[in-house]
Amino acid sequence: MLREQIQKFCESEYDFYKREDIVKSSEDFDSNVWKLFAEQGWLSMAFSEDSGGLGFGAIELSILFEEFGKSLVIEPYLATVVLSGSLLDKSSYPHKNELIEQICIGDMHISFAYAEASNSYDYLSVNTSLDSKNVLNGTKTLVLNGGNANKIISTCTDGNELKIVIFDTNTNGVSINSFSTVDGQSCAEISFENVQLDDKNIIASGEEAIELVNKTINLATLCICAEAVGCMESCYTKTLEYTKGREQFGQPISSFQVLQHRMVDMFIESELAKSLLIKAMLEVNNNSEDMTKHVSALKSYIGKAGKISAQDAVQMHGGMGVSEEMMIGHYLKKMISIDALFGNSDFHLKNISN
Amino acid sequence: MDINFSKEDIAFRDEVRDWLANDYPKHVKEKTDSGITISKQDLVDFHKALSKKGWMGYNWPTEYGGTGWSASKLYIFNKELGLAGCPPILPFGVGMVGPVIYTFGNDEQKETFLPDILNFNTWWCQGYSEPGSGSDLASLKTKAVKRNDLDEEYYVVNGAKTWTTLAQNADWIFCLVRTDSSGIKQEGISFLLIDMKSPGIEVKPIITIDGDHEVNTVFFSDVKVPAKNLIGEEGKGWTYAKFLLAHERFGIAAVGSSMRELDRLKKIVNDIDNDDLRKKVGELEVSLSALEITELRLLSELENGGHPGAESSILKIKGTEMQQKISELFVEASGEYALMYPGPHGYGSNDKPAGPDYAANGLSAFLNLRKTSIYGGSNEIQKNILSKFVLGV
Repeated sequence: MLREQIQKFCESEYDFYKREDIVKSSEDFDSNVWKLFAEQGWLSMAFSEDSGGLGFGAIELSILFEEFGKSLVIEPYLATVVLSGSLLDKSSYPHKNELIEQICIGDMHISFAYAEASNSYDYLSVNTSLDSKNVLNGTKTLVLNGGNANKIISTCTDGNELKIVIFDTNTNGVSINSFSTVDGQSCAEISFENVQLDDKNIIASGEEAIELVNKTINLATLCICAEAVGCMESCYTKTLEYTKGREQFGQPISSFQVLQHRMVDMFIESELAKSLLIKAMLEVNNNSEDMTKHVSALKSYIGKAGKISAQDAVQMHGGMGVSEEMMIGHYLKKMISIDALFGNSDFHLKNISN
Repeated sequence: MDINFSKEDIAFRDEVRDWLANDYPKHVKEKTDSGITISKQDLVDFHKALSKKGWMGYNWPTEYGGTGWSASKLYIFNKELGLAGCPPILPFGVGMVGPVIYTFGNDEQKETFLPDILNFNTWWCQGYSEPGSGSDLASLKTKAVKRNDLDEEYYVVNGAKTWTTLAQNADWIFCLVRTDSSGIKQEGISFLLIDMKSPGIEVKPIITIDGDHEVNTVFFSDVKVPAKNLIGEEGKGWTYAKFLLAHERFGIAAVGSSMRELDRLKKIVNDIDNDDLRKKVGELEVSLSALEITELRLLSELENGGHPGAESSILKIKGTEMQQKISELFVEASGEYALMYPGPHGYGSNDKPAGPDYAANGLSAFLNLRKTSIYGGSNEIQKNILSKFVLGV
């Protein structure tokens, strides 16, 4: 039901040419599309009913992201809804409901600043500091959609324990430098210079903060893996379609066995990745003890298999595969960005064996 | 078989190194060393510097103004230039059309075109692939019809060529055109030289996934080409094309430049102290060494009068895979910073990416090098060649 709704939307409102228009425009995403997301209820579906959401979980998010992956949606759902919204939702922050409400109606973008240049995927090792007078100093990197955010949620440390704070991006001392990303989105370097906060800016401290970071990153990792699974399915269906239509040596190139086997490999990998996705999303949905391991298994698998699938898709499209005007090369770029985010394939492989 | 170089070869290597240290244009070197994209003028300066030294005709016999080098000298020259990070020598003039002209062209054509190629006064591009003819090149449809007006003989050319590298800079294009559609497809093809300034030619850019404008589609509508620009005989174009493809193999393994890149990668991997990547770099080093020695073996066969021919497809397949894998490891070494890449508006509000320098360059190379396993006869076609002509199946 949800899947059909998203598919219908992507077909009618989000074909590749529409996406390209958005990428080429001066905006990082299309705010009209974002409004439509709100109207469909997609911006509120992930939040608990207590916070004013629809109370759906990891399963529905995975479905949404799988379909987003097929259409290469560039709107900042991951940044605003999954990373920032669900962190607020899971927190005991007293002001969370009004913020979540603003997210649900599409009026607010919040970015989660979890990464720092020196911590390489260890998001709990934080240098950004919050002193005893609540003054914030530090630099965050690769903040997804940071250039468009109304508010920033940031990790920091008071010297003893991890803290998570939230504040307006126009607060004195906040400077934001926005960059484009390889998959057509944007991220930012954000520095804090003597940013004066007070107690009501603090979302969580200590154990609660650690758990919020871990759970949020875990859920976001699941979501981008689902997106990758969508990409992998599209890579093989689009390659199949292309090779059936492309004639060389008087026959469709799909009649060559070497290409048939390669497409079969893409199909098999896509199915195996889907299986790992199903397992991981159920574990996350049940909040199971070793859900992180299952997400790591998925992330390490799609990091390798997804990239290979997308490379094969480009190769079998020949010159068309490397043309910016064709969708297929953009799946490869998406797979690069997915592998880069939240720990690459090698990193997650170690998580499993540890 | 001898895969070691002679004393003479070693002396030659030192001469090349000396040229690279002193006469390789400094402004080009500075850019390639720091990974900055070089301009059209930089490329011209580089080629002119080679001309000045008399090395532009690296693969030509002395009677046409070439170096007359042995296969091992050619190999050394190519490897040293690669190791020094030089841009690849543009193959279209000196590597491709030049040998076709001096082998199959008439005296007038040789006098008209060869000196300008050696002095890099003309920039050539290649009109082979068409929108409907890629791997199946012989199915090409661009048509040339012969006319005779007032004692002036000329061809009228209509059609389109695609994936034409740097056509936007080119003065001339050499084209495979169809002059006869009646017989088997290979027999109706002719080899025509066309001035890019001719009325009726339109060059349309193709932007590739790395965001670059390197290739184009070239459209011909009623383009008038003097009949004297036909190379050899009408209908023999396929023979000349195959001859040319054999020449294209030179340096395709790109051993020198891969060694340089692998070396750069190794330093980065040691800096970031990543054991997973160290292992992957080690594996690539072994493969690159195997590739280099294989190239030397083929070379030694050539020097001893053998005709390796189809085996050189190994070099195309493994050489391009090597380039692609090295670039992939640069991307992996960039970690999270592989995310940043200039879009249609550059880096958003910035001119430079955040994170390490090698991140954006690595990703740019990774995306750009996808083409290497597709062009010049895709790697699948190379495997067909090997299975047919080497394995005999």
